Amino acid sequence: MKSKLTFLSAIVLVYVINLFSSSIDPYFYTILIYIGINIILATSLNLINGFTGQFSLGHAGFMAIGGYLAIAMSTYWAPFFYGIFGDNDFGHNMTFFCVIIAGGLAAAIAGLIVGVPSLRLKGDYLAITTLGFSEIIRVFIQNMNVIGASQGYRGVYIYQNGLRDIQAHDELTNIPFTFYGVQKFTNFFWVFLFVSIIVYFIYNLINSTYGRGFLSVKDDEVAAESMGINTTKFKVSAFISGAFFAGVAGALYGHFNQYLNPEDFNFLRSVEIVVMVILGGMGSIPGVIIAAVVLTILPELLRGVSEYRMIIYSLLLIIMMLTRPQGLFGIRNPLTKKTKSNKVKADIEP
Amino acid sequence: MSLLEIKNVTMRFGGLTCVDCFNAHVEPNELVGIIGPNGAGKTTVFNMVTGVYDPTEGDILLEGKSLVQYKPYEVSGMGISRTFQNIRLFKSLSVKDNVRVSFIKNLDHGYFSTLIRPGKFTAEEKTIDDKIEGLLEIFDLQDSKNELGISLPYGDQRKLEIVRALATSPKLLLLDEPAAGMNPTEKVELNTLIKKVKDKFKISIVLIEHDMKVVMGVCERIYVLEYGKKIAEGLPEEIRNNPKVIEAYLGDTHN
Repeated sequence: MKSKLTFLSAIVLVYVINLFSSSIDPYFYTILIYIGINIILATSLNLINGFTGQFSLGHAGFMAIGGYLAIAMSTYWAPFFYGIFGDNDFGHNMTFFCVIIAGGLAAAIAGLIVGVPSLRLKGDYLAITTLGFSEIIRVFIQNMNVIGASQGYRGVYIYQNGLRDIQAHDELTNIPFTFYGVQKFTNFFWVFLFVSIIVYFIYNLINSTYGRGFLSVKDDEVAAESMGINTTKFKVSAFISGAFFAGVAGALYGHFNQYLNPEDFNFLRSVEIVVMVILGGMGSIPGVIIAAVVLTILPELLRGVSEYRMIIYSLLLIIMMLTRPQGLFGIRNPLTKKTKSNKVKADIEP
Repeated sequence: MSLLEIKNVTMRFGGLTCVDCFNAHVEPNELVGIIGPNGAGKTTVFNMVTGVYDPTEGDILLEGKSLVQYKPYEVSGMGISRTFQNIRLFKSLSVKDNVRVSFIKNLDHGYFSTLIRPGKFTAEEKTIDDKIEGLLEIFDLQDSKNELGISLPYGDQRKLEIVRALATSPKLLLLDEPAAGMNPTEKVELNTLIKKVKDKFKISIVLIEHDMKVVMGVCERIYVLEYGKKIAEGLPEEIRNNPKVIEAYLGDTHN
């Protein structure tokens, strides 16, 4: 009940802040949106890597699937969506909602397809398989002309005769056409709506009897299996849920930049998300959120010393890992809160 | 009908025959011991019963139903639970949550109701909470219920493993060397604990153990394994005086 209330008030708060979003400096606004998207990515990966202990390096792949599907749908099918919902603010938001969910579902299905065979693997092998998967997705997109291939995708020309192409054709210029570019649907409300949803989702999932199954799979698969837990089911469902939210993040990202390029989803993107999870402390919800915020802001703060930016960034990561290998919040697991009586006991017994 | 029947079970790993044509049965509410020198194949028997390995030959029946080809979590669902030789507690979970995991297989709610949290969900969580508290109280672990499972003293960790196994409400409990690494006082406590578990929960227990005090103290019937073969079977007194058993444990008496 308490968590429901917090969740609802968070949504109201997000809505209210969104009303004032036009007065926020555009630069800060952009960073704010990126922070939100990174929180979604990192928290969803935390479910897979942190809570269930399956080291996945394929999050960028899921993000790419969700992102590309969403922006392709909202442009190719724009006449269809606007026909249903109307070409106004309401229609745009409804369209956006539909394509976000579609992007998430597509990524979730991809998660199922990749997850079922590869989750038999453990540790490094799983990491390599998922990494390979996300690279395959990227290369695939790089060769798909309908979504711009390696040039990236920013919209589609829809001719009156029904022909759709991503370039305006000279030989067709006498036929009237409309250019449907990727709209800037993403705003503060949408991003932080999904941030609230995923935090609520993971918090509630983990803090339940059912959710403890994910942690037991991470800790000891043999013991979990002996206690009647279908470990494959738990691993795959964590994978699918994580992939869904990565797809959502991709859709939000695409509709904010109004452009997607396959290079947005390379290996480094996956690593960046993994770093957020590890730095925040595997399996700590607040830790990972803070790490996502810090790692989004840090490169911006270092813009002043642009040449040395990436060196300092890497050094800071190394120092942080050396001093706190368990992550920012690694030690104090929110799930095993010490009660007052325990503390008292600890004080008495030397 | 026997609760558990192990029929002509053989387990080979490549050329190594680990368990050779082993026969055994466990009756309802019986306490059976399996003893034998290191490497005799005792734990392999447990692993076959719980579905970790599928026997190369033979059949294992629980109440007349074959367990072979079932996965460990399915076997657990049928009513067999176990503890491990080297303690395998969930290291990131509290004492309470270690036990909680055992309730997952019988949950009425699933993935989505954890998010929507209807009234039924809260009620079920409350019932489970009460059951856990009840179990912990029986085993005197309620004071440390919110501590990490692995932060408990060694003897209590063993105890917690038994509680966790019992929480799956088994018909048959397999204990793999529960006295390993315990001091004499803890062993005495363990003896009473095992008897208590059997009487209170009305279940059958199979026990693998090296410590003769524990085995002779609690077991009603004993199987002796050596090099994967059963060399003796019978009441504790019979086993104690069986020359074959003495030889297996102490070596040949004459040179």
